[in-house]
Amino acid sequence: MIRTAGQLITLHGQLEDKVAEALRSLARLHPEAAGALSRLADESVQHRDMVLKVYREGVTDAFEVGFLSKPMDEDGYKVAEPRGTLREALRVALANEETVIRFCRDAAEDSNQLIPGLPQTFTRLAKKKEKRKAALESLA
Amino acid sequence: MVVLDEPVKGVVEVRNYIDGEWVGSGSDEHREIVNPATMRPLAKVPMGCTEDVEAAVEAAQEAFPAWRRTTPLSRARYFFRLKDLLEEHFETVSRVCTMEHGKTIDESRGEVRRGIENVEVATGIPSLMMGYNLEDISTGIDEAVVKQPLGVFACIAPFNFPFMVPLWFMPIAVATGNTYVIKPSPWTPLSMVKLMELVEEAGFPPGVINMVHGDAEPVQAILEHPAVKGVSFVGSTKIGRDVVYREAASRGKRVQAQCSAKNFLVVMPDADVESTVPGLLSSFFGNAGQRCLAGANLVMVGDDQKFIQGFLGKITKATQGIRIGYGLEEGVQMGPLQAVPRKKRVVEYIEKGVEEGAKLVLDGRKYDSGPYPRDCFLGPSIFQGVQPDMAIAKEEIFGPVMSVLHAGDLGDAIEMVNASNYGNAASLFTASGKAARRFQYEAECGNVGINIGTVAPMAFFPFSGMKDSFFGDLHGQGRDAVDFFTERKVVIQRWP
Repeated sequence: MIRTAGQLITLHGQLEDKVAEALRSLARLHPEAAGALSRLADESVQHRDMVLKVYREGVTDAFEVGFLSKPMDEDGYKVAEPRGTLREALRVALANEETVIRFCRDAAEDSNQLIPGLPQTFTRLAKKKEKRKAALESLA
Repeated sequence: MVVLDEPVKGVVEVRNYIDGEWVGSGSDEHREIVNPATMRPLAKVPMGCTEDVEAAVEAAQEAFPAWRRTTPLSRARYFFRLKDLLEEHFETVSRVCTMEHGKTIDESRGEVRRGIENVEVATGIPSLMMGYNLEDISTGIDEAVVKQPLGVFACIAPFNFPFMVPLWFMPIAVATGNTYVIKPSPWTPLSMVKLMELVEEAGFPPGVINMVHGDAEPVQAILEHPAVKGVSFVGSTKIGRDVVYREAASRGKRVQAQCSAKNFLVVMPDADVESTVPGLLSSFFGNAGQRCLAGANLVMVGDDQKFIQGFLGKITKATQGIRIGYGLEEGVQMGPLQAVPRKKRVVEYIEKGVEEGAKLVLDGRKYDSGPYPRDCFLGPSIFQGVQPDMAIAKEEIFGPVMSVLHAGDLGDAIEMVNASNYGNAASLFTASGKAARRFQYEAECGNVGINIGTVAPMAFFPFSGMKDSFFGDLHGQGRDAVDFFTERKVVIQRWP
């Protein structure tokens, strides 16, 4: 279970890294969509770093950084390796985006009292990722 | 559960940092430092001696004239470089702190962040150090105040915030043009070793910032050395008042001694339960209760038993759910006590509370430390039915123990707060502005929280304290710190 801010940030980073890795391997398999997929992969890494920066700049010993308002279950946020045809693989990539968006929304709600700027960053990322879905759909 | 990579490998032979060099101590006596979670040896720290302090103070004295003449803007730039290095090594420093202290990695990162914030404030010294002036105090005569550094200052640091506390003082002291000697706690020397490595990398001139390790002898040497102009101390009231304040002040030194505490957290019947519980948990059990701002006494106000029992039930349940373990596991919410003697002291207080007749509803002694040695681990404890005259309600325990008291009304609660010898922090949880104002107005303590459990002032505000929790005039951090580390020189001039 995710109970602390540190865990939350680590899990977010792992999700973004896995999504980026999956998009890069997809780009290698499908050169026709490589440019767009690589850009999305780079963006995932930027999103990871954005959250990490907000966390590191806002973390303090004084407030309730150790305690999420309610623990989150990490098993509820799994991303998969896209396989098969481009169309099939993009379907998995879209589902991955949905998972990360759901994570960002849940994290925004749960980190409400944790660290200044963190819930807002997660909310902003969830919105940005909605646009990524459209970009992925356009490749199908 | 995954344990983050440990940055300290093997056993570190800790050395002093004097005049820009890493040097051995004149003392042959050493203490072995262990990781309190795993009990694996981390370091051998020298116990220090008078000669070590003399060498450090001499280096600081020699560095002072040139450093004082270095422009405030240039001095600030050293701190910009230090800040960049601290950001770069943020995670490593945080993990070192967890390894030597036991606190969770989130707590260490928070501690390191607060240390960096003090460095950030010091980069503003060209503005912060400005004096003031007035033309024509009489015809053709002007008067001005300039703030000047005094010379060598020193800090005697505690074990509980090994990285942050020296940074409450050193950056402002040095940025204002003084030179400095840090004496870290002999229980947790490695965070400061890491800081001094970065100080060296930032290029501070030799002698401007020095570090001497050790215990009582170097403390005494700092207090007695005629060239030391002032001392900042954080630790127990017994040492802060009876040793540091008396010895240093009697020799004409400036002193700021931040000492023990017994902090009250008062819950009114109109408090928002959902937001209050996490704040209380963090306050009572964060840093395993080893902080001078930790909650110690929970005061439930009024006679609404349904509210009180419901609230205490939630607190107890939430406390039982706290995950304890090695702080380098990210899901851990509370680490071990910092050392075996500290656990022993807390256990003795738990035994005393039971003897005094308080009801131990949650017994931290029963905590099973799983894969880790039991030596320093202790679960959180909750006492109910605590009376104000019991030792567990009056004395600083410095561990994860909550004592629950009851007050008829807000006035009674404030009376309890004010009856304490200590005056570090007190918090009120309420939805009433009127109650909040009264509490803020009447509570005799230096740091007041309203719907905040841990009242830790930011780097640009003074860390206050009253009664037996503070000895001195000017506090650490903020504008108080600028005044502590400078002399206000008045200049009156006429040019006929």
